[in-house]
Amino acid sequence: MRKRDRLNDLVCHYDPSLKTSDIVVAFEYDLNTDSADTRVDGVCVLIAMGEAEPEIRMYCGGELKESHPLSDCSDFAISSGVGCVMIEYKLKGEDRMLCRADNSYSKLYAAVVKRINRYKDKKVYSYDYEETLLRFCPKCGRPIRPGMTVCEHCVSKGKYLKRLWDIASPYKWYIFLSTALFFVVTLINMLPPYINRILVDDYITPKNDVLVGFLSVIGAMIGVHLLSRLITVWRNLTQISVGNKVIIRLRSMVFEKIQALSLSNINRRTSGELMNRVTGDTRQLNEFITRDLADMLQEVLILLAVGIYLFVYDWRLALMIIIPMPIVAFSYRTFWRYMRGMWHRQWVYDSKVSSVLHDIFSGIRVVKAFGMEKREVERFDRITKDLRNTQIRNEHFFAIVDPILSFIMGAGEFFLLYYVGNKILGGEMTLGEMSQFSAYVSIIYGPLRWIASFPRRIVRTLTSVVKIFDLIDDKVDVEDRADAKEITINGDISFENVSFGYDETADVLKNINLEIRQGEFIGIVGKSGVGKSTLINLVMRLYDVNEGAIKIDGTDIRDISQNSLRTQIGVVLQETFLFSGSIYDNIAYAKPDATRDEIITASKIAGAHQFIMKLPEAYSTRVGEHGYTMSGGERQRIAIARALLHDPRILILDEATASLDTETEKQIQDALQKLSKDRTTLAIAHRLSTLRNATRLIVLDKGTIAETGTHDELMRKKGIYYGLVMAQRQMSKMSNTPANKTA
Amino acid sequence: MEEKTQVSLPVGQEDKTRLDAVINIIYLTTENSRFSKVNEFLTLKATVPNENGEPEEKSWPRIYLHRAFPFDMADKYISVLDKDKKEIGLIRDIHEFDPETQKLLTEELERKYYAPVVTKIYSVKERYGFSYWVVDTSSGRMSFTLQDTYRSLLKAGKDRIFIIDMDGNRYEIPDLNKLDFKSYKKIELYL
Repeated sequence: MRKRDRLNDLVCHYDPSLKTSDIVVAFEYDLNTDSADTRVDGVCVLIAMGEAEPEIRMYCGGELKESHPLSDCSDFAISSGVGCVMIEYKLKGEDRMLCRADNSYSKLYAAVVKRINRYKDKKVYSYDYEETLLRFCPKCGRPIRPGMTVCEHCVSKGKYLKRLWDIASPYKWYIFLSTALFFVVTLINMLPPYINRILVDDYITPKNDVLVGFLSVIGAMIGVHLLSRLITVWRNLTQISVGNKVIIRLRSMVFEKIQALSLSNINRRTSGELMNRVTGDTRQLNEFITRDLADMLQEVLILLAVGIYLFVYDWRLALMIIIPMPIVAFSYRTFWRYMRGMWHRQWVYDSKVSSVLHDIFSGIRVVKAFGMEKREVERFDRITKDLRNTQIRNEHFFAIVDPILSFIMGAGEFFLLYYVGNKILGGEMTLGEMSQFSAYVSIIYGPLRWIASFPRRIVRTLTSVVKIFDLIDDKVDVEDRADAKEITINGDISFENVSFGYDETADVLKNINLEIRQGEFIGIVGKSGVGKSTLINLVMRLYDVNEGAIKIDGTDIRDISQNSLRTQIGVVLQETFLFSGSIYDNIAYAKPDATRDEIITASKIAGAHQFIMKLPEAYSTRVGEHGYTMSGGERQRIAIARALLHDPRILILDEATASLDTETEKQIQDALQKLSKDRTTLAIAHRLSTLRNATRLIVLDKGTIAETGTHDELMRKKGIYYGLVMAQRQMSKMSNTPANKTA
Repeated sequence: MEEKTQVSLPVGQEDKTRLDAVINIIYLTTENSRFSKVNEFLTLKATVPNENGEPEEKSWPRIYLHRAFPFDMADKYISVLDKDKKEIGLIRDIHEFDPETQKLLTEELERKYYAPVVTKIYSVKERYGFSYWVVDTSSGRMSFTLQDTYRSLLKAGKDRIFIIDMDGNRYEIPDLNKLDFKSYKKIELYL
């Protein structure tokens, strides 16, 4: 937004007679419009000064290049190239190009075009296109991840951790307990080297004769180890149960939220992303809480306890150990970074192998049909060879470098040994003290390796935390109003000046006005992509309209509770989805308390009963994944039965019978016809014969209603519908030339 | 054996003529078409078969070009489309035309296809699943962001790469082997 303001200032700087308030919209272009890839520094601007005629101006490098009165210009439109985008317009009826920029500008240009057109039509520019452009973080300038609303770099992570703690806080006593157990385990683990010292110094000596003492020290050793293990088990169990409780709580929060979101919220994210939020990111947190956090506590404790002991015992010795630590940590990091690159390459080859396998197996019919088995075997051989070579190289490298590295990193201990050995020889230190000391030294090196990798884990976890809370915080687009009504629908539907677009760049439906009365059978026709499915999505309120209103029985659907609305609308969609379960489960999906009679009746109307009864398990046949594979037509009939079951007041059929043969379709159509006497039906169909029962047809073209009327009226009109009918007759003539009676 | 080859050969030939017979590709050549430029855009006057298959001279005030094989044949097999994006015909090779027309066509293609050529990679930083690149290109120093680095690198030949950033911008590396060692090292991990 700030950038836009700067641009306005820049234009005012070019032409000091301008004020920022004169500027309707200013936008930059960075590619020469004449052709060639030379980058330029250009700004286009639409100016409206008082009563004067608005003007489009083009500046390049600060110089005014062209200027035209807006009345001479029309048809502003965006035109996309490959890797670039242009705004075109008509100047006195001739095609011209206004500006061109790389693809980063595509959204901006779409919004600009919308704003200019709106200004030209209505002389208003209330449409806030700037807000739609918030794709880069205003703070750091980095892109905001698709599907996120905040920048994960700049968001305050402390706030999120606090919220994570809020979720975990019901289990705070468990967490406290497990932390306390950590302390205990760590302290106990400090004991064995100490006992070892006593053992070596006092008992394992040639002159020893106190067997009882010797045995009791060994007993103490066993006891300490046993205690340590037992408490570790207890700690782990507490830790796991806390982690899982928190994660399950978080997971159900995320899942509930996703269910509450509207389709447009959801469509902003891919289903993979959502799956990741529910499973991947929560798993990441689980790992953090149950493992990383625990490890961190433990390692830090060890580091502190052992560190303090060493310093107290002999600070020079301690320094000898501490000083090389950064070097050790650094070399470990470098080594792992290099190894990561290597493993990564191997991983890439590995996934290539599985994707090729997947490819070949899913396409096995094609492979066999074209006799390409041999070539596929060769292809597979080639990539497995690649994988093998990388694997061998990596293993070799690791096999050689790892021991060497370990040796180098352990080299410090040899110096220590020399120093300590000298001390023993000089009588300043006992053998037992030495063993205790070197035990502590090896203990303290453990946390170091771990701490080197800690920043990476913390970053990964924080990313997951931010992503999860971003989803939980997402504003639901389609929400019930506080005073949403429960109504009983009769079936009058009216569209009043409805405009709608899935995103800000283009309206799919423009200014739709339509009155549908109860009991009408409305057929919606038009070419692909004119907005037929969008129209019915709006009736179901899967999205909210951008402008205007849709009313059912005179009530704006935004005032009706979504539950009340949708339970009274029956839908059969183009893509019929069956859940895993029995046929019965699938039909009863929207009305789990339906009686068996109701189920059978609905199936009979939908023409499903007959084929279901041919299956050995009839209504109990399992479908969906790992179940009986249904044909497209069978699925559709199940879907129709599902929609009919709860006796909807409004029935929506989106290509509901497209996969059926004409015979079956006719049967179902006739049954539906009987059913739709006092019900409103909206049906979309490409096969126009499907709509022969329609009381009225609505022809959509380019997002608007182009024609409306009965079949006969529209045929007489010889418009778009006539064209569609004739084209289909032509087709059916081609497909069954001998017996074509209807034409 | 001999008989078999005798039988199969005519069948193959027959198939070929059949494919050709079903659909007739219209090629735009120096003989049947003239391109010219009005304002920023191309226009075309061409003699092509109409619906009945008879040659007819028509003119299009505005045409669009689209590469059929953008990666390996940038100036061959260019589809010429009318304003409804319906194909008027195909240009087999731009170089069949006179230099003047070649220039027009090339300019139009260059305007539509924008892909700066990467000459040097300064840095590639990966954070939170994005990678941030700073490169030198034929259009100057640029920085851009890739969302899924592996999927954003398109192999367009043995050593030719297209990088597609999160805005849909394209950057071309015509020959990986010609990159300097340091640049190559930065991109190597993703290949």
